[in-house]
Amino acid sequence: MGSQKVRLALLVLGGILGLAALGRVVSYLVSHEYREPFRTPAGAQDATPRQQGLADEKAEAQKKAAAKDYVEPDYRAFPRVGSRVAVWVAAQLHLLFAAFVLAVPLFAFIIEAIGVFTKDKRYDRLAYEFTKLLSVAFSLTATFGAALTFMLLILYPKFTLYLMSVFSPTFAPYVGLFFFEAFFLYSYYYGWGKFHPYVHLGLGLGLNIVGTAIMLIANAWLTFMTSPAGISEKGAVISIWEAVHNFTWMPINVHRFIANIAFGGSVAAAYAAFKFLQAESDEERAHYDWMGYIGNFVAIIAFLPLPFAGYWLAKEIYAFSQTLGLTMMGGAFSWLFIIQAVLIGNLFLAANYYLWLGMGRVEGTNPFQKFIKYLLIGITLCFMVWATPRSIIATVSEVRSMGGSVHPILGFLGVMSAKNTAVNILILTTFMSFLLYRRTGKVATVAWAKAGNAIQLAIFAAASVFVIFLGIYGYFVEATVRIGLSVPQVGSVLLAMVSITAIDVFLFRGARSTGEVRWGKIPAASQYVLIFIAVTFTWLMGLMGYVRSGLRQHWHVYGVVRDTSVDAFTPTLGFATMVVSCTVLAFFLLIGFVFWLASLHDKKDWGEPEGTAAGGRH
Amino acid sequence: MRVPLIPRLALLVLATTAFYTYVGQMVPQKEVHPPVEIVLKKDMDTAEMVKVGREIMDGKGLCFTCHTIGKKGALRFPDLENVDARAKTRIPGLDDIGYFAQSMYEPDHFIVQGFNPGMPVINKPPIGLTDEEILTVIAYLQSLGGSPTVTMETKHQYNKGGGS
Repeated sequence: MGSQKVRLALLVLGGILGLAALGRVVSYLVSHEYREPFRTPAGAQDATPRQQGLADEKAEAQKKAAAKDYVEPDYRAFPRVGSRVAVWVAAQLHLLFAAFVLAVPLFAFIIEAIGVFTKDKRYDRLAYEFTKLLSVAFSLTATFGAALTFMLLILYPKFTLYLMSVFSPTFAPYVGLFFFEAFFLYSYYYGWGKFHPYVHLGLGLGLNIVGTAIMLIANAWLTFMTSPAGISEKGAVISIWEAVHNFTWMPINVHRFIANIAFGGSVAAAYAAFKFLQAESDEERAHYDWMGYIGNFVAIIAFLPLPFAGYWLAKEIYAFSQTLGLTMMGGAFSWLFIIQAVLIGNLFLAANYYLWLGMGRVEGTNPFQKFIKYLLIGITLCFMVWATPRSIIATVSEVRSMGGSVHPILGFLGVMSAKNTAVNILILTTFMSFLLYRRTGKVATVAWAKAGNAIQLAIFAAASVFVIFLGIYGYFVEATVRIGLSVPQVGSVLLAMVSITAIDVFLFRGARSTGEVRWGKIPAASQYVLIFIAVTFTWLMGLMGYVRSGLRQHWHVYGVVRDTSVDAFTPTLGFATMVVSCTVLAFFLLIGFVFWLASLHDKKDWGEPEGTAAGGRH
Repeated sequence: MRVPLIPRLALLVLATTAFYTYVGQMVPQKEVHPPVEIVLKKDMDTAEMVKVGREIMDGKGLCFTCHTIGKKGALRFPDLENVDARAKTRIPGLDDIGYFAQSMYEPDHFIVQGFNPGMPVINKPPIGLTDEEILTVIAYLQSLGGSPTVTMETKHQYNKGGGS
């Protein structure tokens, strides 16, 4: 019954619509029926011929164009996404490839040197494998560098010319160094196995020195924008050296040098993971497992001191301008550091997880595995403290019941005293993970083994207690004292790591092996962890690049050249993270291309019979 | 069916990036615009100056990036509650107007005990308040624990006055 009614309704509706459509068609046909065109009578036509009118208009336009004054625009617009986003993406991609190109030669050189001095061919092959990734990455670095330069000149001409006028003496050395970089890089890569090992190591050393020098010059330009020096109040250059050696130059140099190694190590480990997952033989899996391990080892070892370099940079920013420092940590960017905490927490968790999975490579039962749960608890607690914000996003009633936007208990975890303590304990815990991994499958045989272990444990406990004590003490002292407490906290952690490592080296000299390391015998999940670490590192670099640059807010050069463009405002963190993500995806698309090109090297030549692949030749 | 390696890796990269983008959307979202220039009338009375001074401190002056009003505990910069009462006697020979002016034109000249130097010179970039804008800020500061007396014609040691 119901369906009949529906059918009837549809019939009526269909009829109405049909009639309406018919009416529309008829109306269209009637209005478009043929009519005789209107023709102007010959005597009523315009006296000025059309051609003459057009020629007059053109001449007028040319005359106006010839008389036009030259006006240098301050800004030009980039279509669709705007100038800021366009320059942002180009600069970030350039930096990511540059970081990779600077970092990989550094550890390729170290690994090659280990191979030369230990005469172990595996290291030589590994170093070459890393170097294979360089040549295409170098071209992409240069391409994005050129794109960035042109975009700055076109989109921000006034500001770029100012920067060029300040730093003009640095351009010739920069170009010269770039030439030497290309020379060293290609001779290092193509000369593999063709020279005496020491000569080849010399080329690697040259490559690293030149690469670092290039970075130092480029860092002067960008740090000057944040903490200008060596100029008058009006912006005129007084001292080029002071402009280079500004407040944030050296901290950025150190920070980038370390971060580049961490980043390069993680991307190289991701490459090894990719090759591991593609591998068809146990031998290949063993090689790429080892390569991934070394890459990750380099990344994490470089990552551990990175927060300390970060402290130094932040300290110098405060020293240059308290306003700038407070904008960073307490103003528009304070929530960015909560996102950073999530990223770094994930890095620590993933790095530890990879190490723990790696313990399974060693034959026999592992006596250290029982400690892992305690380390995991420690890492999770530190992560939670670090990611706790000072003020909480809450509804009006929640704010009322808390007595403000700061939670009465959790709010205490949102301040620097708690966060400094959490990150220091996090570093110590990860260091302990490394130590346990290092000991897996070994038993110390020296006479003082028991005492050595006890001393190491005592140092670790003393450093932890000291860091926690200073963290709590920080709540009860004035700001002037509290700020200074981070130095002894960092110092004690560094001291503990150095002294425990030194003891460990002697403790495990001539240690008895209880099980062989079976490279390649690791769950495939570990390889995905390596890729996750690389993506997280890249994203972290993108985020921190944004805060370093965005910190200037509506200034191109802080306090000197004001940004008067339509993009002078600071975007929301949500928008910034979307740009960072797009950049990261573009980077991985391109680095995937680099990996693919590098892997072509191992494929057999066209037309060659099976079993004659070119793997390992160089 | 087993998903091939490349799509699996692409999915991992995409999922990781999407997760961090999501985290980025979860924090407070605020666009920060350059400070709006306030046009000052030459004939403003003191009451109007107090209102404008507060606006300047909130915006172009960036004062509340560091300073607070009515906050207790371990602070990085002096709290401004009742500041006028303290300003009158802080430096012998300087009244409140002179002291406030000195705090802005020469902030390192006198540092309140328990705090570090760190205040920027307010009439220079990046903040760069004009002499008139500084007078309005002084008017507002006087209102915190005192009665504002400053006018747009007030002269002090930094705006071609001999001192106050």
